Formats: sequence, structure tokens, C-alpha cells
Amino acid sequence: MDRVAVVGIGHSKFGRRTDVNVAELAFESIKKAVDDAGVNKKDIQNVIIGSAGGWYEESLPAVIVNEYAGLDGVGTMRVEAACASGSAAVKTAYNSILSGEAKIAMAVGIEKMTEVDTLTSIELIGRAGSYMWEFENFGMTFPAYYALYAVAHMNKFGTTEEDMSRVAVKAHHYGAMNPLAQFQKEITLEKAMGSQVVSWPLKLYDACPLTDGSASVILASEEVAKGLTDTPIWIKGVGYSSDSANLSRRSDFVGLQASVDAAKRAYAMAKVTPDMVDVATCHDCFTIAELMAYEDLGFCKKGEGAKMIREGQTELGGRIPVNLDGGLKAKGHPIGATGVSMAVEITKQLRNEAGSHQAPIKNGVGLVHNVGGTGHYAYVTILSRN
Amino acid sequence: MEQDQALHSRRSITLKFDIPISKTHEFWDALRQSRFVTTKCKKCGQVTFPPQADCPRCMSNEFEWADVGPDATLVTYTYVQVTPASFAENDPYIIAIGEFAGGLKVLAWLEGIPHEKAKVGMKLKVEERTSKEGNPFYVFVPA
Repeated sequence: MDRVAVVGIGHSKFGRRTDVNVAELAFESIKKAVDDAGVNKKDIQNVIIGSAGGWYEESLPAVIVNEYAGLDGVGTMRVEAACASGSAAVKTAYNSILSGEAKIAMAVGIEKMTEVDTLTSIELIGRAGSYMWEFENFGMTFPAYYALYAVAHMNKFGTTEEDMSRVAVKAHHYGAMNPLAQFQKEITLEKAMGSQVVSWPLKLYDACPLTDGSASVILASEEVAKGLTDTPIWIKGVGYSSDSANLSRRSDFVGLQASVDAAKRAYAMAKVTPDMVDVATCHDCFTIAELMAYEDLGFCKKGEGAKMIREGQTELGGRIPVNLDGGLKAKGHPIGATGVSMAVEITKQLRNEAGSHQAPIKNGVGLVHNVGGTGHYAYVTILSRN
Repeated sequence: MEQDQALHSRRSITLKFDIPISKTHEFWDALRQSRFVTTKCKKCGQVTFPPQADCPRCMSNEFEWADVGPDATLVTYTYVQVTPASFAENDPYIIAIGEFAGGLKVLAWLEGIPHEKAKVGMKLKVEERTSKEGNPFYVFVPA
């Protein structure tokens, strides 16, 4: 099987970007990725756009984005896997190279969530479950989905609201080091604990913000990659899975089975074990999600996620540093861009280009964990220097 | 960022969906008669909630209606204080997942109890309600 490498990365400033439209925002990361890869954009054969859409005015973002960037005539599509749309885009671009169809392909993650008002955004995300049985009569929201998991996890394993707040404090600590993050201010445990309850036990500081942003990666076949760069970052494993749309059909509420299954597949394909991971991005749309991810990805035993954060095992200098870019919580979570943004961060880390928040790289292995919905979709991507 | 300009689009749309329920309308009909039922596959015996006309296990389309509950146990819950736009007129609500004997789980509001009193493991009953628009729905209440 041919190998596929990340050869170019680009990332826009995340935040409330009222200064740009969808195409202009996507262009910011596309241009950086093209420059970083040193490719002629005419040589990019496939452009896969990851975007959930619905909160910005364009219905066909793929063609709008490509046209603006002068990428006409390429093979293209918009892919949707909710908050994992970005990873789905990376996987689709990766497949186009593996199949021999393309030598160079690009995945662009883009979302613009703040063109509609906040309550409408909350409504659109809340509808992203099993509409008739969860929203129509009961008004589920996304914080409510993860709160159901939080309560079950607290009840079974003794995880506390303070444990969850610690995740937020860590996220803001690293977000403050990332100039592209939406929030660049440290917060205290007291501030996180005292913030407004959104859906008990989750509070404002347990939740990621609504964000506009884009991220792009350029992938190339082995032969092309070696000609372009001395530091290709190889995609060694891609695992994905899915679970019920309707939460009442899940067997339990203390972890995401789709994450467990996706991780198993990715580890097997990459031939690595969790203890070999030098650095990871975990899907922390809510603080409880990061704690469950530690467990679901095998960084610790089931039920010990809270222990990891209490002991600082996922901080810089800890056993497996997680979300050193600020995570979804502080960097922001432009739904379709997030998976690509994670791939950008892990590529930077493996290239030793992360500056103030650089993790020590021993085995050369990094992991991207990207969840769509409440474990409706899950993607785990393993990147490696070797 | 310096002064940003936005064109406030004047072309607004309202989306209201007519959701077909022909295949499983008996679920809603039964609710009006205070019965909580769901689909059971005649071929393989699979009981499914939400009700569905086609069996997700054996793919048969022959099913019958089976009574569920009314007794359930609270598996997990949350107290929603920030509600979505179309629930703006509602007071905050508790959303619970209750499990019936046999393992079938249902998500619904939990009414008749202050949120501080909700507790994992507590006994619940499912009851029918009628929405302001006259549509039947269902909630949990403490048993």
C-alpha cells in the first residue's frame, strides 16, 4: 500500500469572525497550506470540504470555496460527519490518494457559526440527534446530551464538577499560548466552578464556544511527499465508527463506544499502542468529553479519566499531553474545521514546530480524536514521523 | 478587530416540517388513550423504541404493538437551564433517560419534582401529556 503524508498545513484565526465571509475565511487556511507545502495549486487534484453547514448563507460551500481560491475543475465534495466533518474530509482526501486517483489532495475544514443568533445556533445543534424523539417534544441541547453522560459518569465513578472544571482550566492555560485561539486568557478553578449553569452539571466553562474558523491540510503520495519536504508526517492509521442517533439506544452513558471502536481500528492499522502516543488532541466539546476520551482511547482505565486530570498526566510534562493548542474549549470549535485543525496541531507537534507549547516527541507518534455529535460519529487518526 | 461590516440579509426563511408518521401513528393514538406502546417484530421478537415499522435486527416489516412500562428506573438526567430558541417560552426542564424492565430505554422530560430531588436509580412512571398545539407526548414522573 502506498503511504500518504501531510505535506502542508494552514490555520485561520478562530473566533467570532464577523470580518470575513465563508470563502474568505476558508482562503486564509488554504493559502497558508499551499505556501507551507510549496505546491503549485494547479497540482492539487482533489479538494474535500468538511462543513456541517446550515448556519451560514451558502448551501454549496465546496464550490464557493474552490472558486474563490482559484481551484476550479478539481474533484470536490462537501462531507458531513457533524463535529467530525473535518476528520471525514481528511480521510476522504487520504482515500483519494490511496486509491491512486490523486497524487496531491487537500482537506479544508470550514465553519461559520455566528452569522445566525446564538439561540438559533443552539437550536440547530440541539436538533442534531434523533429529531422527533429528542427535540420536537423535549428540546434537547448539545450541553444536555453531554450532561446526561456527565451525570452517569459522576454517579458511577465519582467524577466531580471540579474534575471537569480542571479540564477547562488546562484548556485555557494552553489557549493563552496559541495566538490563533478564540480565548487567550487563563482562568481559575473558582471562575470555572462559579460560571453559569447551562445544563446541570455542565456550566458555561464546561462548554466550547460557537466559533468561526477554517483549517487546511495538503496530503501527498509517498513519492511526491519526499520530493516536497524533509519532514513528511505520515498518516499511519485511520479508524472510524458510529453509534445510534437516539441516545436512549446507547448501552451506557459513561463512554462513547464509537470512540472505543475507532481507536481500536486506528491503533491496529498504525501498529501502535496507546502508551506510544507522544501527544494527542481529544474531542473536548465539553469537559466531560475529554475525560471520557482519555478512557475510551486507552490512555487510562475506564473510570480513571478524572484521576489523569487531577494528577496533571495530560499536561505538558505529563504522560500524554492533550490539547496543547487549547482544545475545542479555548481554541474554539468551528464544527467542520475542528478535525482538520487537530491534524494541523499534531503535524506541528510532530515537526517540532509548536513553539511555547511543544510536547517532547519520543516515539514520533501523535493522535487525533474527533467526535461527531455525542459519539454519533468518531474518527481517530494516527500520525507519525516514521 | 476593527469595525466589521455585515450585510443584514433581508431574505429570511422559516422551516416547518410535516413529518410523516403513517407507519407508526398507532404509537401516538395509543398515547391519547394513556397507553405507552412500541413495536415488536413478529418474526424475531425484537422490541424497539422509538417504534419503527421495519425491524432493525432482521429487516422484517411485520410487527405488532407491545405495551411498555409504565415502571422505569432513572438512568441519567440533566436540568436544562439554557433552552433553544423554539423553547424560549418554556421554563427550565429536566431531561431524563428511564429504563424499563427488559432494558428498553426512553428519553423524556421528568416532571413533578424539583431538579435537586432527581436521583439516579429513582423509580419513575411514564405518563401521557398533550402539547399546547394538541399533540400527544409523554413524560416521566416520580413513581
